[in-house]
Amino acid sequence: MQRRSFLRNMAAAVAATAVVPHMSMAADAAKPKGPNEMSLKAAIDALTGGKGIQTSSKVHLKAPEIAENGAVVPVKIDVDSPMTDKEYVKGIYVFATKNNNVRCASVHLTPANGEASFGTRIKLGGTQDVLAVAEMSDGSFLSATQNVKVTIGGCG
Amino acid sequence: MGKVKSLIKVKPKKYNVGDVVKVDFMVMHPMETGMRKDKKTGQLIPAEYINEVKFYFNDALITDMQIWESLSTNPLFTINFKIPGSGELKVVFKDNKGEVNEKSIAIKPKG
Amino acid sequence: MRKALLALAATAGLVMAGEQFAMSDADRAMYAEMLEANPAEIMLEEGGEKLAELCGGVAGLAKYLGVSEDDLPKYIAGFPRYVEKLGAVVQLDQVMQVMMKENGHAPFKLSSKEMFAMLAYVKSLANEEKINIDVNADEHIKAAYVLGKEVFETKRGGRGLACLSCHSSDVIGSVLRTQPLPDLGKQVSGGTWPAYRMTKSSLRTLQRRFQGCMNNALLAVIPIGSKEMVALEVYVTNMAKGGEIAIPGLKR
Repeated sequence: MQRRSFLRNMAAAVAATAVVPHMSMAADAAKPKGPNEMSLKAAIDALTGGKGIQTSSKVHLKAPEIAENGAVVPVKIDVDSPMTDKEYVKGIYVFATKNNNVRCASVHLTPANGEASFGTRIKLGGTQDVLAVAEMSDGSFLSATQNVKVTIGGCG
Repeated sequence: MGKVKSLIKVKPKKYNVGDVVKVDFMVMHPMETGMRKDKKTGQLIPAEYINEVKFYFNDALITDMQIWESLSTNPLFTINFKIPGSGELKVVFKDNKGEVNEKSIAIKPKG
Repeated sequence: MRKALLALAATAGLVMAGEQFAMSDADRAMYAEMLEANPAEIMLEEGGEKLAELCGGVAGLAKYLGVSEDDLPKYIAGFPRYVEKLGAVVQLDQVMQVMMKENGHAPFKLSSKEMFAMLAYVKSLANEEKINIDVNADEHIKAAYVLGKEVFETKRGGRGLACLSCHSSDVIGSVLRTQPLPDLGKQVSGGTWPAYRMTKSSLRTLQRRFQGCMNNALLAVIPIGSKEMVALEVYVTNMAKGGEIAIPGLKR
């Protein structure tokens, strides 16, 4: 009687200590598909017209390495640019690469912004890369990624 | 016009013409994905999320956002804004059901 | 023997905070910055509107409590207090319930989101003040402190746990269910609740948080506003005495 309740408590304690891993294919298939469902490849192709994106140190993406929870994950993107009429960031695009609908936000800026940046908070279904893409006035698409580990658990 | 509550915050609170300030726009909104089940009924809760946010200064569009359901409940939208002079900063936002709301604040540079 | 085994099981679930779940300085800075745009600020505004509409606003509250508006913030920073008019040690939500009734309105339930918002607004009037609760001020608050300590330390429920089991100085920092156990004093729990809870996307009060904790620890939940719950809030708030009030907080 004592041993069984001890084991039950241990099992409960172990089960509750979890970091949500990369979602498996089977898990993806089992999830309900929303009307906005879109994969990363499709989203990038649609955005860049098939041109693709290139990693650039001009794109600064800030997101926690370990997110306390998956419901409110802060994300901040800053892009180096003079933001003049001749040279500016046309848009900042945020993607949650493993969410059912990878698209989070498409932000179209103007020189009136002064500095190219966008901040928000997103929902992440599990540990994944967050991707930021900046569309530049010269037509290029620059990017940066940050892996975010989503922890579940906690008490209360 | 809808009755969704929102708040615009500018940082720093005191600024001059030419300064680049941070603008935080916060909204009380469920940002329901449409893929969550009601625990009591087992039914899917219908999608209800802000899908468009437009920032205007003195009626000129300065930032235009397309938003999806992955943003957190009670979402935040932060941009930068270079103060051109005094006037009105207005945000107009729409949700997937077509409801439109807006919020404005006065921009009053010190100098 | 059974109790010892259960206690062992609870501590066996604790992992010393390894790199795995320790928050980096950069991450900590990101979460701290989130306070600049706390979603609960809008709820606080609504709470202020309700206070004005139903209780005569800040002026009405000061008058009811018998303090000047200038002294009100410091006075608020000492709650929960013994309020002679009510003949009990109370939190400000209970005070507002009585004020609403006296103004001819049906009072909001203590557990309602309207009341949470009003309490948050009122407590925010004391922002930047230091918590100055005085658990020796009179025999009533002394008794509440003793009762609160008893509630905090009494082992009960399915796992034989007390608040103290997870919130004692020797287990602070250990990781339980992926989160490090907080130091209720140093983290100024008494000064950072009511807070926006990210996992609940809503504004919650400290007593409500106690209930969530009790639920998870398999302790029978104590009602908000009850003598025991207010006493517990007195005890936990006192741990943070001298800490700065910053409402609304932002919590997991």
